[in-house]
Amino acid sequence: MATLTEPTPTKNVIPPSTHPFADIIHRLEAGGSMLPDTPENLKQIIGIYKAYAVPMDFYWRDLLYIAERVFLDPLPAFKYFLPQSYLDLPNHYAGDTADLRIWRGEAEAHPELLEFMEKGELGKKLPKIFHHLWHDRVNMEFAEACKQAMLWHQGMGGRFNDYLYTDEYKANCDQAIAAYFKGNPLMLTLHKHFPDLFYEKCRDLSYYSNLGLFWEVMAPVFFEMSDIYDEGGFKGVPDAMDFLVNGIFAVAGRPIYHHVYVGDECFELVPKSKAFTWLYEAALPYVEAVFYRTAPFRGTKSYNAQAHEVPGDQKDFHYGILYADVFPVGSAGIPPTLLMQDMMHFLPDYLRDYYDDYCRGDDDVLIQLGITFQRSMYNVTSAVIQALRTALLYPLDDPNPEHRLANRQFFEAQMDRFLRPEARLRDIQSQDYR
Amino acid sequence: MATIVDIAVNTEGFSTLVAAVQAAGLVETLQTPGPFTVFAPNDDAFAKLPPGTVQTLVQNPPQLARILTFHVVAGKYTQAELLEMGQIDSIEGAPIPVRTGLNNTFEVKNATVLAADIEAENGIIHVLDNVILMG
Repeated sequence: MATLTEPTPTKNVIPPSTHPFADIIHRLEAGGSMLPDTPENLKQIIGIYKAYAVPMDFYWRDLLYIAERVFLDPLPAFKYFLPQSYLDLPNHYAGDTADLRIWRGEAEAHPELLEFMEKGELGKKLPKIFHHLWHDRVNMEFAEACKQAMLWHQGMGGRFNDYLYTDEYKANCDQAIAAYFKGNPLMLTLHKHFPDLFYEKCRDLSYYSNLGLFWEVMAPVFFEMSDIYDEGGFKGVPDAMDFLVNGIFAVAGRPIYHHVYVGDECFELVPKSKAFTWLYEAALPYVEAVFYRTAPFRGTKSYNAQAHEVPGDQKDFHYGILYADVFPVGSAGIPPTLLMQDMMHFLPDYLRDYYDDYCRGDDDVLIQLGITFQRSMYNVTSAVIQALRTALLYPLDDPNPEHRLANRQFFEAQMDRFLRPEARLRDIQSQDYR
Repeated sequence: MATIVDIAVNTEGFSTLVAAVQAAGLVETLQTPGPFTVFAPNDDAFAKLPPGTVQTLVQNPPQLARILTFHVVAGKYTQAELLEMGQIDSIEGAPIPVRTGLNNTFEVKNATVLAADIEAENGIIHVLDNVILMG
């Protein structure tokens, strides 16, 4: 089987696009990314993928820990205290025991993550509780905000969400709830009289599992991209995008499920046999919920919903990273800022030096890396767009004009989403946007 | 007359499809009287998928079965009947659009039919040059 490398299309099969983003559409049609192909962009996005992959290695493990073990704990004060068993949990797509060995990373938690967890920003080995209370830790709040976006937006394709409202799912929940609260008449009575309370919490936890399983794949992909770049392997931004496209296909069929463990017993809230897949039930809803939609983050900017400053239709929400004004997001305690803080701890030296040379150097490094992150996510979104085009439409060099026109219409429809003024697609075309 | 599975097994160029149908546990289903309409991607179609795609699916039979059942329709439909309908629901649940392409080609979603209306005892087969995916 051949790796996807996009050939240069033959020209003039169809007339040029007249879309406001025609230049970007023509770039996509030539196998490029929404992000311009410059060495500076390549350096930025790969550096940030690496800085993202380290905390992501924590996020996916903790998301699964919360979904599988913390479960319905009414006071989950220690849900971010990841036990050793989850740090050792072998990644299904890295290490010698991997189901599919495309990416070279190790199966266990990344050494840089373990070092940070031990000493934190303080650089001192203290009991975990002190690092936690000082907020000197990996910030799961960002991961939970992403999960919340997926839970809240719901109907974004795939069949995962529909299943969470079936009698079959509720029956699975009943079994797990009965086992989890065995010997706790208060909670069991509560469940008996107000069953939707715990069902809804279970749905929430099923999305924890969904996102955890999604990121379990992305962490080794980003580590591998960083390694390839360090070895001089990527020639440009399109190479990095094609690598992501191949990765999306490779794991498209990975099962998405939610298992709960009470003691040694496993309860399958969402069994693997429901045939939910990484591509349809996790990746595509994730991109829609997190990259495009989300919701306004508290502490950034106030909107008056009664004055229709917030769209009436959830599908029109546009508060994701592709639309974000990174500057006000840079205030303390806001989930995207917490992600920036997480990534700052693991920046490769070349990116740290790069930020030192611009703007206010170290003083506004969070904003600078936030904008780099935005660039990198435009590249990931480009990979998703190209993967969808590959899966659902036609090759870029297809000689059939009808097919080429179908590709064109698809690309134009995707670009329509960036016509609204908040979109940052125009900004990322320039290197001066930082 | 041979069943859909018998034809696939005994025709050159369908070894990946046959292996996939076996891995997904769909052989017995496709041996029943049906009838079914099967859009059958050939080996070249599967080979177009990036590395790892088929391996991951084969490791996970329910997920593989879902992709494969997107290639199967309940009932026996010839090319002419399908083109008249324009769209038909797969057993997976998602719809499959069909149309006449440039130069009178028979197109099923983003695949072109290489050989249409292959009669089987329990249905009909149309050979595709692409694996089709939902969405």
